[in-house]
Amino acid sequence: MTGVLAYLAAVWQVFRKDIQVEWRGRQGIPVMLVFALMIVFLFNFALQLSPDLQAGLAAGLLWVSLAFASTLGLNRSISLERENNALDGLLLAPVDRSAVFFGKALGNFCFTSLVGLLLLPIVSLFYQQNLLRLPLAAVLLLGVAAYTSLGTLLSALSIQARTRDILLPVLLFPLALPILIAAVEATRGLLSGQTLAELSSWVYLILAGALLFNAAGLLFFEIILEE
Amino acid sequence: MNVLKKPILLVILDILTLVLVPAAVVLVVFFTPVEAVMGPVQKVFYFHVSAAWAGMLCFIIGAVTGGAYLLTRRLHWDWLSTSSIEVGLVFALIAILSGMIWARPIWNTWWVWDPRLTTTAIMTLVYLAYFILRSGLNTQETRARLGAVYAIVAVLTVPLTFFSIRLFRTIHPVVIATGGGDGPAFNMSPRMLTALFASLFVFTLMLIDLVWHRYRLAQLQYETSPEVN
Repeated sequence: MTGVLAYLAAVWQVFRKDIQVEWRGRQGIPVMLVFALMIVFLFNFALQLSPDLQAGLAAGLLWVSLAFASTLGLNRSISLERENNALDGLLLAPVDRSAVFFGKALGNFCFTSLVGLLLLPIVSLFYQQNLLRLPLAAVLLLGVAAYTSLGTLLSALSIQARTRDILLPVLLFPLALPILIAAVEATRGLLSGQTLAELSSWVYLILAGALLFNAAGLLFFEIILEE
Repeated sequence: MNVLKKPILLVILDILTLVLVPAAVVLVVFFTPVEAVMGPVQKVFYFHVSAAWAGMLCFIIGAVTGGAYLLTRRLHWDWLSTSSIEVGLVFALIAILSGMIWARPIWNTWWVWDPRLTTTAIMTLVYLAYFILRSGLNTQETRARLGAVYAIVAVLTVPLTFFSIRLFRTIHPVVIATGGGDGPAFNMSPRMLTALFASLFVFTLMLIDLVWHRYRLAQLQYETSPEVN
């Protein structure tokens, strides 16, 4: 029992540190949000969207902008650890390294889901679709959880490559595509009036992704970061 | 040096593959019936299914041997893992291209965003990224370690692709029909079935042969200049 508590305390400390860095610098979330907004606007001109947007397009718009914006945060989260060899300090801590993974994944989850939740009213406003629904927020959080846990895992891989600045999206997008497709489908279903129960197969696919990627983090984070 | 000598078993496998691949072509072209509705283009199917099978088998071997590397930390396992993924990528591309050749007259388009086609494309992209990852890593040890982790995570796309025609509504034909599945079922005559199993067998042999050659290339590279790797 004390072992579990100590583990959770380590996860909490890593998480708290990332929140604190973000709070003091305020550089991650604003950049992600502005970037996501730009994609929302860019879509309008690129695809000649009419204001009374189809439900499917609103769902796609939300997830594409969020997925792109999230890679900025994921990249930053791990490259901050590289500066001044902060990562070595983290790895020297006498805790299981998967605790570092869960702490960072939790931080990334919070940042991206905050951006996502802020996007909901904005997309609703500009595209005259009501995205402010509780089931939709639940799908958003679940999808972000799956996406950011995979992203945290892969960012630890990409940071070790020479091409570290450009590698993460290339690794992340194809592996995350099934999750993103499921999230878009679930969001689209909700926007066209279906209930969560009717969309359960998509929700279960996202849930399965979230569980698998977190299990992969638990198993492999130690191996990825060993020197 | 011992490793420079080509193993006798590989020589036998080479000859066997060189004889059996043309034999399979002859079998498919001349000895299978022409499908009543689709016509001769249906014959793409034998090598299409075989290539898809070989590709997926390669990716699974890549993940299993990647896991073996992480457990034993012997570079041999990494050579095997990366070799089979490289060969698997070629097979997957063959499966996609041959499928497109079939789809053009049958579906009247080169490509549709059908679940089976989409998941296959995703799987191929995932394994393309595997080589992008490896090419960015500096030492052989990191390439092996991170490549193995990636190969194990990436293999999740293989069951997703295989079962996609059973999970989702699709227009892709279901060949291995075990109940369920929305796709159109495909009933084969005994001679078609024989040709299918023959080409599956031949492609599996070819897979082993190619992976073995690619493995030897990695081995020889290491033996001749280990410090470069």
